[in-house]
Amino acid sequence: MKKKVLSFLLACAMTLSLAACGDKTAGEAATAPKADGESAAEAGASELTDGKFAETRHITVEVYDRNNDGGSDPTNNAYTEYIKKGMLEKHNVEVEFVAIPRWTEVDEINTQLAAGTAPDVCVTYSYPTVKAYADMDAVIDMRPYIDNYKDELPNLWNWLGETNLYWNSDLNDGTTWAIEAKLANMNRVITFIRKDWLDKLGLKEPTTKEEFHDVLVAFKENADTLLGSDANKMVPYSVSYDVGWRAATLIESFLDPDISDKEYYVNGFDDRKICQNGTKDGVKLLNEWYNEGLMWKDFYLYGSGDSTEDDMMKAGYVGAFTHNWDYPWRNGEDSIAANLKRLVGDDAKYIAIDPFEDKKGGHNKFLAGPIDRKIFFPATNDEPLASMLYLDYISSPEVIEFLQVGEEGVTHNVLDDGGYEILAATGDAIQNSGMNIDYTITCNGLHLTNEDLTNKSLAHTYAGVDPQDILDADKIAKTDTRVGINVNVGDIEAETGAGDTLTAKRDTCFDNAVKAPTAEFDATWEAGLSDYLSSGGQDIIDERTEKWDSVYSSENIR
Amino acid sequence: MGKNKAFKAPKAKFDKVYFKRYYQLYLLLALPLIYLLIFKYVPMWYILIAFKKYSIVLPVHKMAWAKHNGMEFFIKAFKSKDFLVALRNTIMLNLKDLIVGFPVPIIFALILNELRVKRFKKVVQTITYMPHFLSWVVIYGLALQLFAPSTGLVNLFVEKLGGNSINFLGEPGNWVRTYIGLGIWQSFGWNSIIYLAAIAGISPDLYEAASVDGASRFQKMWHITLPGIRSTIIVLLIMALGNIIGSGFDRPFAMANPTVLEKAEVIATYVYKAGIKGSQFSLTAAVGLFQSVVNVFFLLGANWLSRKFGERGIW
Repeated sequence: MKKKVLSFLLACAMTLSLAACGDKTAGEAATAPKADGESAAEAGASELTDGKFAETRHITVEVYDRNNDGGSDPTNNAYTEYIKKGMLEKHNVEVEFVAIPRWTEVDEINTQLAAGTAPDVCVTYSYPTVKAYADMDAVIDMRPYIDNYKDELPNLWNWLGETNLYWNSDLNDGTTWAIEAKLANMNRVITFIRKDWLDKLGLKEPTTKEEFHDVLVAFKENADTLLGSDANKMVPYSVSYDVGWRAATLIESFLDPDISDKEYYVNGFDDRKICQNGTKDGVKLLNEWYNEGLMWKDFYLYGSGDSTEDDMMKAGYVGAFTHNWDYPWRNGEDSIAANLKRLVGDDAKYIAIDPFEDKKGGHNKFLAGPIDRKIFFPATNDEPLASMLYLDYISSPEVIEFLQVGEEGVTHNVLDDGGYEILAATGDAIQNSGMNIDYTITCNGLHLTNEDLTNKSLAHTYAGVDPQDILDADKIAKTDTRVGINVNVGDIEAETGAGDTLTAKRDTCFDNAVKAPTAEFDATWEAGLSDYLSSGGQDIIDERTEKWDSVYSSENIR
Repeated sequence: MGKNKAFKAPKAKFDKVYFKRYYQLYLLLALPLIYLLIFKYVPMWYILIAFKKYSIVLPVHKMAWAKHNGMEFFIKAFKSKDFLVALRNTIMLNLKDLIVGFPVPIIFALILNELRVKRFKKVVQTITYMPHFLSWVVIYGLALQLFAPSTGLVNLFVEKLGGNSINFLGEPGNWVRTYIGLGIWQSFGWNSIIYLAAIAGISPDLYEAASVDGASRFQKMWHITLPGIRSTIIVLLIMALGNIIGSGFDRPFAMANPTVLEKAEVIATYVYKAGIKGSQFSLTAAVGLFQSVVNVFFLLGANWLSRKFGERGIW
């Protein structure tokens, strides 16, 4: 008897493993190429009545998982419920959210695309990723849907317009692998400093590099006064391993404010500007400060997504840093500002400053252009039309407003002048990302139903923060900016697959140069840069130059 | 097993009686065989990707052949400076690991074997093999707490004693030493288990006879214990050599930082960066295939050598 049971079990196990084998072939078949978008679009025109499908459709949508302390479940909270309900009512489409870890999003979405399990609506900050998969026919051309369903997609067209919808369109045949979300607020990085430390030492807010340096020195010399027994933990100016970003305003102040569009583009594959003329001088200054002991000594040891540096800011050890224009106030109760208040005292706070003057006396800041995340549909998407309707829904002003400011009394109060004041929400209504940008995938930055309301509310969108601090930061972030333009000269072959190896080389170059002994700075920088250039950087510059010359006739196109 | 004829398997004639009696054992054997077939042999078909232009939507046999008779990506890899650096680093790190790390568990097992107090021996063994269960991400976290130049415990101690803080993790040469050291720390306890088991298998008669003859402790270690575990050592050495240009991914990946990349980029992390993140699957399949082939040669070579010197080898 026992033997029979045993052999039965074994037989079961065998069948199971064979079945697993069978699944694999089924998976392969599912990734077979789809009919091209054009014919699919025409056939689908009759599918909608009043914007609604006759039968309920099902789509999956990517959402970033930021893994915040005390956050809500990114796939199931008050906002996902709102979206799910709205989509079902308006278009008869069922929406399911798929969480993708924010800090490893590119790796994660890559793996899922390769495995054929990516969500129907994908979002990423990396266009090269989209392009690489498009070259393997693994991404749907969105152009036919954008054009043929223009009437069904009024909100999307109103919000993004041709600029963002066609941003990535091919020069010749118009194929569009991804559309660009729009930056409602183009503010990028600015510099913050501890206001209470300045006051304690009787110092003014620095307005030039020299003054900034003097303030850092003063912080360091008075560490005992400012931090007491924690004096040795002081970091006057903090920069992470990603130097090119976290010292961006300093580095950019060394670039020529009148740089030509061509030069900026040709040397601009790396958005940390490693190849731009002037960057070296910026890094050299950082190197001087590093060797004077004014910077975080161990910055290069802590990788992407590590919270050590944030924790130092929260604990009050950091005097100044450069980051996203609203960084100290992000994340409500877990924000740097809120923690600082709790741990150090009521008067401890960061304020925005603009200390890095350029050679013309302004405060040159390069912005990326009105584009943000890239939205694309992988070839495994069986519901491109329903997915387009999703993008339309998520772009309607009312939906954006609700997602950004939530419900009255829960996430916001209405002020006397009509503006919204954001409250620290609890439970289900907690926004995991500032103003829910993870859900408003076509929009980054406060964008309410009318501009007046937006302006009145902006300063109140961060719970528990002095509105004047926000307004000051916003003003500085908007000073002396140069908006990026869309340079479309066709594919640059040398860029294919080069992004991540070059990014690693760039970090190596920046990090080694900053921490080098003063005498070795030049040699270290040159070694790092030449390694970057010989690993593909130079090929990209050459190809960009050649293609620019073949498409544009002048150095400037704005 | 050529020379060992003492144990003979029953004559495996396929007849009904035999099969009826033993079929369950064969069924049991079938499971691991199926596992090998599905997860090790079927995927080998995809080696073809190394010779073809990869496409995510086409099955392998329909993908177009790569240029230069399919060798395009091998040529590209060997022309790529980054791959050659990764190859050099992989070999250097593994060689150092082998030279420094291989004897440690053997010596440790020998020492442990000499301990008299059973309970103390057990405690030491447990403590030393514990780190084996820590992931490299956790170990790097610990390393940061201990070795970071300005906040690490070790460096604070060094500075309090009047020394200068040592950059264990941010200077390529030191980084390699830390890498090797942490690797040994993590694995020597675990790896010593197999030697301890081999030592336990040595007949106590030999030791008794040696004692009667007046052998000292070290003489017994040298003339009885070590020869007794020689074949185990050789087998493990062959396996280690078979992995000389292979490497785990998590150890170099978790421990690397931008400032030591020139020494820390190994084939596994290069494949991850250029292949998975940069979507160059054909290129990295070629690199992976090259890696496997070289490893097989090392394995065969080491095995051949060991047989030449009269040892059993691994088959």
